[in-house]
Amino acid sequence: MSASFERLVDGIIDALQSHVVPNSNDDFVRGQVFSAIYALNGLKLAADWKAGPLLEQVRLQDDTFAAVKRLADGITHPEIPAMPRLPSDLSDAAAIEALRDDGDRRLGQLLLWASGADARAANRDLATGIEQLLRRSICDQLKIELATTPKSMLQQIAGGERDGGAAQG
Amino acid sequence: MQDVAKRPDDVPEPVRPAVVSDDAVRTALAQHLSRISGSRTEIASFGRKSSGFSWITYAFVARSAAEGDRKLILRVGPPNGLFAPYSVLPQVYALQSLAGSGVPVPALVSSEQHGAGIGFPFFICEHVEGDVPAPWAASELDPDHKRTIARQFVEILASLHRIDPGATAFASLQQGSQRAEVCAIAGWRASLARPTARYYPLLDWGGRWLEDNCPQPPCRTIVHGDYRIGNFIEYNGRIAAILDWELTHLGDPHEDLAWAMMPTFNARSRKLYGVLERAEVIDLYQRASGIAVSDKSLAFYEAYALYQAAAIQMCAVRAFEVDRFNDMRLAVMASQMPSIVRAFERALEAAA
Repeated sequence: MSASFERLVDGIIDALQSHVVPNSNDDFVRGQVFSAIYALNGLKLAADWKAGPLLEQVRLQDDTFAAVKRLADGITHPEIPAMPRLPSDLSDAAAIEALRDDGDRRLGQLLLWASGADARAANRDLATGIEQLLRRSICDQLKIELATTPKSMLQQIAGGERDGGAAQG
Repeated sequence: MQDVAKRPDDVPEPVRPAVVSDDAVRTALAQHLSRISGSRTEIASFGRKSSGFSWITYAFVARSAAEGDRKLILRVGPPNGLFAPYSVLPQVYALQSLAGSGVPVPALVSSEQHGAGIGFPFFICEHVEGDVPAPWAASELDPDHKRTIARQFVEILASLHRIDPGATAFASLQQGSQRAEVCAIAGWRASLARPTARYYPLLDWGGRWLEDNCPQPPCRTIVHGDYRIGNFIEYNGRIAAILDWELTHLGDPHEDLAWAMMPTFNARSRKLYGVLERAEVIDLYQRASGIAVSDKSLAFYEAYALYQAAAIQMCAVRAFEVDRFNDMRLAVMASQMPSIVRAFERALEAAA
């Protein structure tokens, strides 16, 4: 989903105000929409992304860094951060997300290194093993995100179809 | 009438409004058509047609004493659209170069790259009667009918790839000495590397792999760039026009073939339009185009198709978050990223 929770809520409110309200002549429907907008404004002030999946991703990244560090011992490689990266008292979703994004950049540097000519020249088999490990781990990280992704509604979204079935929560 | 206006280099860029106002577009359109036709033109039945994510499409009737009523289409490149800033040139080149060829396209009426008339890059073309099939759904159309359309779809692609681009305006799309197909990959890599986009390690690594391992094309052709079910108009069992030429470029013909066969555009089926087996598509295409399809190149471009799909999703995220383009469909596109990136990783494994 969209990276910024607040921006996403703003976009939903704008879509309702700009496209739904002007096209509804039914007072009850308009009442529902304005109530939804009010509720969304409340969410914007009080809510944020769930921290759980982000924490799980950061922990998985840390496990991967530790494994790469063990395997790549003695070879020159991109910097691996000191672990654990998560302070025990960190609960702010935005801060955890920033940590996850930083971890992704570092994993990317390691993956580019492991699949590059220098690492292959130093130890081809080891480099290949590290590359495979990193790819598997990054895919596992994506699985965590998939678990929080709702079922696709592409057909209804693209075509605006009325009878495409209700969105499930 | 056909008028492709160009701005001289010494004329400053016009000041563009930040958003596209339908009323302002309609007024400017009447003035533009009156000017180029030399006859006062009124605009009737004017309305947005677009459910697309990029260019804004309007349908309207141009009414003038000289030419009577003409049903036309206006396409405008918004300043905060998916692939902004826009160039009208690929589409103009396509509509100009392919008129009268084996590739049916709407007739071009007028265009402006610098948008002096309307405030944004735009072009006007003839309205083409017919329906646009939805690529996402398993439609209830008769399978025989779909087979007929799918075969035409492949034959038209073969016709496009048989055209010598050097003899058309497309030749000017070649930039510098870099291979055109590598240039296209580099373009998406640059798009993904923009600092505001979320970083995906597999896309960074995979983009480098694609650029380093891009196969030599069997021949360099005009590539539509978004050749798929849903980007044509069908009328009475015939494909009447191929649409959406905004991503047209020179490159490897395998690119269009791989893109067209993506399950995403075929109601999640491995068959084209849900009816034509992959082997049948390749056989038909080879016979119609005279181009031998390489399994290795096709596997490469299937991976590239997913990479490109991921880059397009990220353009959508950017348009929503950074450029504040308030279309919720763009925000929702971001949720597709994990599944696309995973599929890309698997496709790359198959192509390596």
